[in-house]
Amino acid sequence: MRIQVNARNRGFEFDARSRESVLYAGLRAGIDLPYECATGTCGTCKAKLISGRLHDGWREAPGRRYVKPEQHEFLMCQCAAEGDLMLEVSKFVYAMEPGACTPDACTGILRAPRRLAHDVMAFGVELEQPRDFDAGQFVLLAPAGLPGYRAYSMCNFERGGRQLDFVVKRKPDGRFSEWLFGADREGERLETFGPLGKATFDPALAKNLLCIAGGSGIAGMMSILSRAARERYFDRYRGWVFFGVRTMRDAFFLRELSAFKRQGLEITVASSDEDVPASARSEWPELGFARGLVHEVAKRMMAGKYQELRAYVAGPPPAVDAAIRVLLLEAKLTTDNIRYDKFS
Amino acid sequence: MTKRLVCRVADVPENGLRECEAEGGLRLVVANAGGEFFGVQAVCPHQDVPLCEGLFDGSVLTCHMHLWQWDIRTGAPLGLAEAPLQRYPLAVEGGSLYLGGDATALDVGELFNGIAAGTIDSLAALARRESYQAGAMLYRPGDPAEDFFVLDSGRVEFLVGRREHIAPGGFILRKGEVFGWAALLDGYPARIASARCLEESALLRINGKAALRVLEGDPAAGFIVMRRLAALIARYLASSGVK
Repeated sequence: MRIQVNARNRGFEFDARSRESVLYAGLRAGIDLPYECATGTCGTCKAKLISGRLHDGWREAPGRRYVKPEQHEFLMCQCAAEGDLMLEVSKFVYAMEPGACTPDACTGILRAPRRLAHDVMAFGVELEQPRDFDAGQFVLLAPAGLPGYRAYSMCNFERGGRQLDFVVKRKPDGRFSEWLFGADREGERLETFGPLGKATFDPALAKNLLCIAGGSGIAGMMSILSRAARERYFDRYRGWVFFGVRTMRDAFFLRELSAFKRQGLEITVASSDEDVPASARSEWPELGFARGLVHEVAKRMMAGKYQELRAYVAGPPPAVDAAIRVLLLEAKLTTDNIRYDKFS
Repeated sequence: MTKRLVCRVADVPENGLRECEAEGGLRLVVANAGGEFFGVQAVCPHQDVPLCEGLFDGSVLTCHMHLWQWDIRTGAPLGLAEAPLQRYPLAVEGGSLYLGGDATALDVGELFNGIAAGTIDSLAALARRESYQAGAMLYRPGDPAEDFFVLDSGRVEFLVGRREHIAPGGFILRKGEVFGWAALLDGYPARIASARCLEESALLRINGKAALRVLEGDPAAGFIVMRRLAALIARYLASSGVK
């Protein structure tokens, strides 16, 4: 099936596989179509159907609140072509840059699931084909028999890699997390699509780094910090990590974060719901601890340190929005220096 | 014209925002920039998000959803934003704010907004207002490129190439967007694309050479317009990441 996209600046044409979403087909063809979550929530991939027929795979998608069906608008991430299509995207669209990690579908096998905290699970996905993915990117996962993709950030990065590493926080009624926590999933097959996301880090950035993560938002930060640490980035630039948890019972990766501290990063765990017990402070002497919401703790401790800074923010939407407010209004960062990933 | 009340001055906090409904039904966001008041459209031109939920530091308005930003004084897009904000000039009278009329397509336009009022007036005097039905062809490849256009309402699409080698060249849909800008360049006497109205459209047609003479008389404005024109052209040429 042939899909023609008319964007504000030019047109693009690409082929789609049967049942493949318009968004994934375009991205796979190296066209940087607009998206943010790629899973039906944010509405960023809204487009307008000019001709042809669509199959909407998820009519209840939360992102549908941003589309006007009477004007033939739809979410590219949820709709597949039923024959040739012509559509319109009211944004400037460009081809991906040479060297960008072009996403594609790939089957994988779940490996080594293990609990990091009472409601946090780490696991790997072994891919059938090698993939390039940058620090800070995410992929979509769909276990066999569980319809629909979910987006998860990798904790690692690789060129030609076959292993993706994840941490997933258990969500009440979250079908993927119930599936993951409900039984031993070692060896289960998953469909993947990726890599996706533009909250990436490259050492050529040459700026100080600020990472503000709520809960499992720390996953993507780990890949960014690993990439930076491997290049001895923190010999030249400063780095701050603020990791927000409700209580110390929810914290994980403290050993890995302690290792980053030895590279010169300053790391603070912010506990919103209770004071940090003295036992945590003595167990993790290299980490700082503070009581409060992660964006408030970051605001308090970062005052006056916002020069030459790139910020990465990830976590639940209210935490991300609050952190962005601090970064714009207090830190006066320009928007190109705020990279964020809202889990929704 | 009857005055249309927007809100009381005291309703808009210092360096804050408030969504208001003006008498007669127009919804707008009023920003208080250190005691000066600016009216802009109520929803983000990107994705229908209420701009009153955005962030405002007294000069820059940021939509919280995707961090599009604008200069509150001019409505000009900053940073990631791909479109300007429609402005609604406000007048203060006796502790209340009133609508002061709509900004014209030239005022809000991506090339001309914010330049000296006298220069805008001279350009406006050159402009001929034209209306077209859906499907109307404005120009074809090879036609002389003497005039440029400013969109007031409607939608115009471009096709590049000829006969069987035609490809979509984008489209224009926002009040104030400029096209046919070859008329402002030296050495491009003919159109390289066709322009067609996709829906009923209203345009301002301005002779390129006459506009350049106006800008020569106000070099400060001319410099701003040429910088913006360069950015506009680069945006059509750019690959992702360098736009």
